[in-house]
Amino acid sequence: MAAPSLLCGGLRRIFSGLLGSGWAAPPARALRQVVEVTEGNTTTIEGRIIEDAEAPPPPNPSGQCPICRWNLKHKYDYVDVLLLSQFIRSDGGMLPRRVTGLCLEEHKKVAVCVQMAHRAGLFPNHRPPLPEGHVPKKPKLNRYLTRWSVRSAKPIWRRGPKWCKKPFPVGHPLLKDNIKYTQKPLCLNH
Amino acid sequence: MQPPGKIAAATVIRLEGRHKPIYHALNDCGDHVVIINTRHIAFSGNKWEQKVYSSHTGYPGGFKQVTATQLHLKDPTAIVKLAVYRMLPKNLQRRTLMQRLHLFPEDVIPEDIEKNLLQEIPQPRAVPKRLDEYTPEEIAAFPKVWTP
Repeated sequence: MAAPSLLCGGLRRIFSGLLGSGWAAPPARALRQVVEVTEGNTTTIEGRIIEDAEAPPPPNPSGQCPICRWNLKHKYDYVDVLLLSQFIRSDGGMLPRRVTGLCLEEHKKVAVCVQMAHRAGLFPNHRPPLPEGHVPKKPKLNRYLTRWSVRSAKPIWRRGPKWCKKPFPVGHPLLKDNIKYTQKPLCLNH
Repeated sequence: MQPPGKIAAATVIRLEGRHKPIYHALNDCGDHVVIINTRHIAFSGNKWEQKVYSSHTGYPGGFKQVTATQLHLKDPTAIVKLAVYRMLPKNLQRRTLMQRLHLFPEDVIPEDIEKNLLQEIPQPRAVPKRLDEYTPEEIAAFPKVWTP
């Protein structure tokens, strides 16, 4: 289903450029608002393009992905909710890479940070829609820097002697290259 | 929203009296420490599910193992109490220092303790802001990194 829509988008731009001389083609991708207008027995459903204010130019326009363009490569964490919220849907899921334009490693890092932020409770309004007014139970425990999902983690019944203890994983290895403002080494296993 | 290990490290320093220049092991110069909101501690990683607190009653078949979640729901002060107990030096002073530690699961403190509080120990972890705690001006001031 992806291939036909891509072809239609590309062909539409070519044809509109050929036929309309001097008429600028509308942008193929933009945020649109669905407007339904009923006049008599004619109903018009239109997707009006929302014109955004011009964004300030990024500090590094020659970057390939938004993170490189804004020089944020190793500088964000699960705490930077304002940045991470730009890559999530309203129900909390990640947006696809072909839409946001992120490179693969940054997309994975952002996905990991978004998961950790969800488990820390930093996105209280980005919850999936629940059926039939089923009331979700409030999480009673606070957590942060969780690598695995809450339901998948099993208790470590025998941790072992001091020389071969089973560690508790904290954080994520994808984020080990983040810049540190302290001299302490980053500990991924407690 | 503080990690119990870091809270315990700061309290052990105060209980022993190491924060005072007149410290000596025989001086008995430690302070009383009051910890509130122990119900709201936060573990990093998946320790709520993975950390196991074990104990033995002494009787055969009396080996009990409880995860941190179960222990916390049963007794909200137990995790911080065990963390402080295990961080104190393993000598006879440990029990007396534990008597000088006062733990409360919520904000509610008895009046006679509250009127004797002098100093507040700074919080070890900077609690992050949730998305709905940011003002709309801050959200608008943050630039859009990509356009749809």
